[in-house]
Amino acid sequence: MLDLLVIGAGLTGLTAALRAAESGLKVKVIAKGLGSLHWSAATVDVMGYPAPSPVAAKNPWEGWQSLPAAHPYHRLGAKRIKADLDAFQAWTVALGLPYAANADPDRNTLLPSPVGAFRPVYLAPKAQFAGDVASRQPMLIAGFDGVRDFYPQLLADNLAAQGQPARSVLLPQITLTDRHDANTVHLAEALDDPARQTALGVALKSAVQPGERIGLPAILGLRAHTQVMEALTRITGATIFEIPTLTPSVPGVRLTAALRTRLDQVGVRVEAGMEAIGFNATGDAIEWVETSTSSRPIRHRARNFLLATGGVLGGGFSSDHTGRFWEVVFQLPLTTPQDRGQWFRPQFFDPAGQPVFSTGVAVNERWQPVDADGKIVYRNLWAAGGLLAGADPIQERSLEGLAISTAMAAVESLTTR
Amino acid sequence: MKQIETELLVIGGGSTGAGVAWDAALRGFRTILVERRDLTHGTTGRYHGLLHSGGRYVVKDPRSAVECIEENRVLRYTHAHCIEDTGGFFVVTPEDEGDYPDKFKAACAQTGVPCQELPLKEAFRREPLLNRRISRVFEVPDGAADSFLATHATAQAAQLAGATILIYHEVVGLLVEGGDGDRRVVGAQVTDKVTGEDFIIRAAMVINASGAWAGKIAQLAGIEVKVIPGKGVMVAMNHRVVNTVVNRCKMPADGDIIVPAHTVAVIGTTDEKVADPEPLRIHPWEVQLMLDEGDKLVPGISKARVLRAWAGVRPLYQEGFTGQSRDATRALTLLDHQARDGVRGFLTITGGKWTTFRLMAETTMDMACKQLGTERPCLTAKTQAPGVEQGHYWLGHRLHAVEEHHLQSDLICECELVTRAMLQQAVLKNPTVTLDDLRRDTRLGMGPCQGGFCTYRAVGVIHQMQHETQGAANQAMPTTIQPTNADTGPQIWDVAHLQSPAHNVDAPHRVKMTAGASLADANLLLHDFLQERWRGVTPILWGQQLKQERLDELIYLSVMNADHLPRSESQSPLTDFWQFDTTPGAGE
Repeated sequence: MLDLLVIGAGLTGLTAALRAAESGLKVKVIAKGLGSLHWSAATVDVMGYPAPSPVAAKNPWEGWQSLPAAHPYHRLGAKRIKADLDAFQAWTVALGLPYAANADPDRNTLLPSPVGAFRPVYLAPKAQFAGDVASRQPMLIAGFDGVRDFYPQLLADNLAAQGQPARSVLLPQITLTDRHDANTVHLAEALDDPARQTALGVALKSAVQPGERIGLPAILGLRAHTQVMEALTRITGATIFEIPTLTPSVPGVRLTAALRTRLDQVGVRVEAGMEAIGFNATGDAIEWVETSTSSRPIRHRARNFLLATGGVLGGGFSSDHTGRFWEVVFQLPLTTPQDRGQWFRPQFFDPAGQPVFSTGVAVNERWQPVDADGKIVYRNLWAAGGLLAGADPIQERSLEGLAISTAMAAVESLTTR
Repeated sequence: MKQIETELLVIGGGSTGAGVAWDAALRGFRTILVERRDLTHGTTGRYHGLLHSGGRYVVKDPRSAVECIEENRVLRYTHAHCIEDTGGFFVVTPEDEGDYPDKFKAACAQTGVPCQELPLKEAFRREPLLNRRISRVFEVPDGAADSFLATHATAQAAQLAGATILIYHEVVGLLVEGGDGDRRVVGAQVTDKVTGEDFIIRAAMVINASGAWAGKIAQLAGIEVKVIPGKGVMVAMNHRVVNTVVNRCKMPADGDIIVPAHTVAVIGTTDEKVADPEPLRIHPWEVQLMLDEGDKLVPGISKARVLRAWAGVRPLYQEGFTGQSRDATRALTLLDHQARDGVRGFLTITGGKWTTFRLMAETTMDMACKQLGTERPCLTAKTQAPGVEQGHYWLGHRLHAVEEHHLQSDLICECELVTRAMLQQAVLKNPTVTLDDLRRDTRLGMGPCQGGFCTYRAVGVIHQMQHETQGAANQAMPTTIQPTNADTGPQIWDVAHLQSPAHNVDAPHRVKMTAGASLADANLLLHDFLQERWRGVTPILWGQQLKQERLDELIYLSVMNADHLPRSESQSPLTDFWQFDTTPGAGE
């Protein structure tokens, strides 16, 4: 019998499964897809813009008073989240995908985005971290003709307009691959080949000027990116860093792979292609969750269940044209208004975000879903991550911080009850 | 103020205005067309894309039906590449019983609209998703028209014949000379919306082809023209659920047609008399009505993914009419202001359908010739628009070209199969101010992700072009490149193959802008296009499309942080448009 069935294989689900396994629980993860890490920049953002503030937070632990009362961060507190993220960072080091943090733990770091805006992040893969704009060390942004998910000139011009000296160079795509349908993942895979690394290094060497660091799209190897970066540094003599691209996101693919490798090592199975289509509860306890596969429905029994299916993006919620909005696995009560007229604001870039996205599953202090009266819905069910009410993690830039800290908190709650 | 002389000034860059400019230029008139936004920005670019057989009007409005079938035949010759030969069904659902179907059949015969009753088995074989409770099916020669391409091709044809096409030029005043009883319109004052510069265009004849805005233009000459703005809401489905235009066989009503348009299907439409042609708000009930009615033709369509909703305004006109817009005639109306109002040198052409735009132009120019005292025959019906050698549009043409030429890596917009070279050529080959202009040129951003992936890419490509043009490394944000205007000669206008990946292969990666381009800075282009896409999805965001929009948020907020880019002080005409016309989902 499983101690815990985690539903969802995004950052929340994988973090929860790993933390639970480390606590000695017998755990399994089921998921419909691969998790939304493959879409993200794979930095760990804690709080970039506490809504409705349009100004980037220098200190991620401040400015929370403007967040909704139900925001999960109010319950966790900065100290606890910091400790959780320290633990996460230690994992990444052990996994060979080291994440770095600002020397001052009360400061966000500003890293270049694919369009040349400054992204306020808390932790970032080391590969990205050298793009910190604080030093104002000049940048050479290198891109490739025909790579449609990265535009170095646009990036450099926007960086320069914000006081970060930058210029760009476009290299021929032939340096990387001769595929006709290459996306960023294909390009990264091509660069795992040492011959390609050398070719790229030589091309960069002739473009870079003394004193410059080199920013490249985050395609520097899929499985061997630390070696790729070392090789490029060796050849060019310059600091090399990655900048996220338009999705699919190689840094996200790497992080998913690293976490899943670790889960494998500790004996946690991650079963993808398993969409939860039903469940059974006896009294107030869930007995099993049923998934569909190509062959037959399977019932997954466990003592405890953790719902980490994400919000609208992860697929945890669905909705229809009548304004009905529901949680897809357990039909949990939601804080969402059942009226489409209240879901959106007129501006796509409204600093307050779109109201529908900060609604979701309400939980109690033990991270257990509750109904409108605050009553626990199922006594062996926990929830964490993007589906929680009170936060709009994409608008706030708290996506990964929220995922990791609520996942760890929920696991701690279920192991200490 | 600068002054330009011409013979004919056409106001309005929709299908009618472009048609008039084409007709006038072919008859040898020196012609200038002015449009305050992009070509087709008004009603032409906001309809469901039906090439009418006339079947829709055979009972209710036979004059309009006759116009439609005649023009249907002409356009298949002059604008073949802008038309998909889908054919059309008129179907009798259980709610459409009564004597209408028989009347319909008889009226088709009387008006000359070819109509054949199909065995149900054959109809269901061709359209398997049709409601199985349909009792009769009539086939007519409806088609699906690409009004963006057709109008651009018409404008190019006009330009080839000598006309000047000025987009983003707004008429702010009409020049009226003479006193009571002998007034004459002699031109217009025009503002270049990009540079802000005003100038005068003097003309022997001014043609008001501004559609639903015709009343506002006429008012500038002190003339009252009561256009009946009939707002129609349309809903684009993510799937092309039918390959044939499907109409309900009944008196025209709300939500009674599904038109297959490129990769999608459009359900249309409502008809609501509104006070003004703008703003075009979309209410939840309108979307609901389209889906409910759509279910009667294709059961379950309401549960399919919806891409977008939008509204257009019919420029209906009926002298002295006070009823509902649904009942106003669809026939064209030419107002001879000399006879009607005692004002010479000014004609208003309104009413009609997209299908009849060429006829509207011909009628207008016949009258113009008469008033100018010259006899020159109309040549448009026998003249083919540029690009016509490509034959009728067919659904697979882009995919075929992309696969044939291995252009997969070059796809900037994967949903609509727009390649980098198509985008670059669209920037080069007709005046371009906003990304929305490129959407109309190439279908950029019209697919399921609604700009999620292609907005960034398009902006990156354009910015690179701007950079190559400036030829300087490490410059700050580029300044607006000066546009071409009326006194700098004809603009490049070559749109015949903008929609074809096969005509844009082996293009260099580094392309310079031309003097004709006047695109704003990259950050403004990005912001405006995302906002314009948002405007059209908010009325239909639920289910899969809501999830898609959240992915677009992840990309532009979380990954790009594009909402915190250095903001340009400037505004584009697209900013100007969405700022006053934004639909937050719930209506007023």
